[in-house]
Amino acid sequence: MASQRKNSRGESLLLRYAILGAWALFCLAPVLWFLSIGLRPRTEIITPQPIYWPSFSLDAWHMIWEDWPMAKYLRNSVAAIFGSVIIDLVLAIPAAYSLARYTYRGRDDIGFYILSTRMMAPAIVAIPIFFLFRNVGLLDTVWALMLVYAAINLSFVTWIIRSYMLDIPKELEDAARTDGAGDLRILWEIIIPAILPGIITASVIAMIFAINEFLFTLLIASTPKAYTMSVALANFTGGSDGLIYNAIALVAFLAFVPVFLVVVAIQKHLSRGLTMGAVKG
Amino acid sequence: MARIELTGIQKRWGAIWGVRDVNIDIADEEFIVFLGPSGCGKTTTMRMIAGLEDPSEGEIRMDGELMNGIDARDRDVAMVFQGYALYPNMSIYENIRFPLRMRGVDKAEHDTLVRRAADLVELSDYLDRKPGALSGGQRQRAALARAIVRQPQVFLMDEPLSNLDAKLRQAMRVQIKHIQRQLRITTVYVTHDQIEAMTLADRIVIMQAGLIQQIGTPDEIYNDPANTFVAGFIGSPPMNLVEGDLQDGRFTAPGIDIAGLTLPRNGKVTLGIRPEDCTVGGHSTQLKGDVYGVEPTGDITYLTIKAGEKLIEVKADRSYRSELGVPETVAFDPARIYLFDSETGQRLR
Repeated sequence: MASQRKNSRGESLLLRYAILGAWALFCLAPVLWFLSIGLRPRTEIITPQPIYWPSFSLDAWHMIWEDWPMAKYLRNSVAAIFGSVIIDLVLAIPAAYSLARYTYRGRDDIGFYILSTRMMAPAIVAIPIFFLFRNVGLLDTVWALMLVYAAINLSFVTWIIRSYMLDIPKELEDAARTDGAGDLRILWEIIIPAILPGIITASVIAMIFAINEFLFTLLIASTPKAYTMSVALANFTGGSDGLIYNAIALVAFLAFVPVFLVVVAIQKHLSRGLTMGAVKG
Repeated sequence: MARIELTGIQKRWGAIWGVRDVNIDIADEEFIVFLGPSGCGKTTTMRMIAGLEDPSEGEIRMDGELMNGIDARDRDVAMVFQGYALYPNMSIYENIRFPLRMRGVDKAEHDTLVRRAADLVELSDYLDRKPGALSGGQRQRAALARAIVRQPQVFLMDEPLSNLDAKLRQAMRVQIKHIQRQLRITTVYVTHDQIEAMTLADRIVIMQAGLIQQIGTPDEIYNDPANTFVAGFIGSPPMNLVEGDLQDGRFTAPGIDIAGLTLPRNGKVTLGIRPEDCTVGGHSTQLKGDVYGVEPTGDITYLTIKAGEKLIEVKADRSYRSELGVPETVAFDPARIYLFDSETGQRLR
C-alpha cells in the first residue's frame, strides 16, 4: 500500500516534470531558434530546403560588432531603460502612496487621469513630442529616450505600486507613527520594503515595454548616437545588403538578454509575499 | 508617567457617530480598560488618545498639556495593535529598536534597551528572527517589547490578546499586568472580553454606542451595575434580566414571585439576578419552573430553568444533575437582587 502510494507519487512527479519541461521548451524554442539562425552562415538561412544539421558560423556575430556600433546601441538601450525605470520609481512611489493613503478632493480623478494617459494611441502625441524635444535640444539623445520611456510607463507603474500599497495593513503605518516615524520615514522604512515585490514587478514590466518601444525611439533617435537595439534591428532590414536575417536574429537575441538577466536575478522577489507575518498569521 | 483627561470628546465622520460624549480622568499609573461590544467607540477613543485620529469636539490633555492637533509621533505614547503590526522586513531586534531610532535615543543605549525589553517579555532567543518565523504568542510579545522599549508615558493596547488562543491569552494577561505594575506606566487597554477587563483593570470604562455607560473598579462594575447594559455585559453567564410587575415591594413575573423588596415604587420593572446568586432546590417559592438544560463543566454545573417564557440561568452545585422538564425551584439571595427601570434600563435604588 505504502509503496504503491510512493509509486503513484513518483509518477505524478514525472508527469509534472514532463508538463513543465514541455512548457519550458515551448517558451524557449523561439529564443533558441533565433540563436541558431544568428549563429549560421547567411547562405544557409535563405536556402529553401530544410537543413537539419546547420553549420556554425560567427559571421553575423563579427558583423554586428565590427560593422555596426552594436556595443553603443546596447549601452544606449540599457541606459535609457534603466534611467527610465529609475525616473518612474522616483515619481510613481510617492504618487502611488498619495493615491493609496491620503484622502483629498479629486484623488480618484487624478488616479484616473494618470491611467488615462495610457489609453490614447501613442501616434497621437508623436509629433508634439518630437517638437518638444527639438525645442529643448534633446533630440537624438539618450536622455530624451529615458524621459519618453518613463512617461509611457509611469501610469501603470504608479497603478501597480498603488495596488500593492493598498494591500498593506493600515495598522503597520499607525504603529510606525506611534513609534515616532514621519511620513517619509514610513514610506522609506516600512512601505517600500513591504511592497518590494510590487516595485520589482512594475520595474520588470516597464523594462520590457521600454526595450520593445520602437515608434518614439525611431522619432527621437535620428542618428546612431541615440540608437537603441530596437531601432538597430530595423537597420538590418534595408539597404544595399538586403535582409540580413542572421544579424537580425542575433541582435534580437542580444536585446532579449539584458531583461532576461534582470528577471533571473530578481525572480525570487517577484512572487515572494514580503508582508507575510506582518499581521496575524 | 502621565495623567490623561478626556473632556467632552466626540468623533463623527459625516453623519456617522463614532464617539458621542466621553469624559474621563485617567490617573497616573492607572490601568484603565475600555470595554464594550464592537462598534461602541472604544478603539476610536484610544486612537484619539494616540493621536491617530483627531476628535471632532472636546479636549485631550496629558499631564495638563493640550494634545489636540499634536501628531502621534510627537506624543509620548506607545501602542500595541490587535494584529501586532510588526514590520515584516525587519528582524525582531530591529522591530524593537525602531522606536528608539525614530525618537532619537542615543545609539549607544540601543542594544541595552532592546535586550532589556526582550528579556522582560522572554523573547531574547528570537531577536534575529523575522516576524514571519514567530508564533502568534511570540509576535504578540515582540509587539509588547517594541511598546515598552523606550518607557513611554502612556501605553495603549488595542485588543492585544484577541488573536491568541485561550490558554495563551491567560498567560499573556498575567504578563501584561505584571509588566505594567513593574514599569508603572499609565495604560489604556481596549477589549470586548469582560474577563480581560475584570482581571486587568484598576478601573473599567464600559461603553456602548459611543457613550460611557459606567466607570468603576471591577468590583463596582460587578456589584453595582448602573444599568441593564452593564449588568448584562459583565458576568459569565451574564445576569438574568426579567421584566415583571412591582407592587408594594412584591415582584411578580411568570413563574417568579418575590416579596420583601424595599423599593418605594409600583409598576413595570426589570429584575436582575446573577446566576451565582441563586440557590437551587429547597422550599423556595421565588422561582418555579421546569429544567430546560443542564450543563456540567466539572467545577460547576450550569442549570437553565424555563419560567413562563423566560430562560433563567443558574449556577448549581458541581454534583447537580437533573432530567429535562423536571419541576425545579430556585431561591434568590435578597441582597443580590437588582431592579432596573424597564423603559430606560437605569438602575432603581
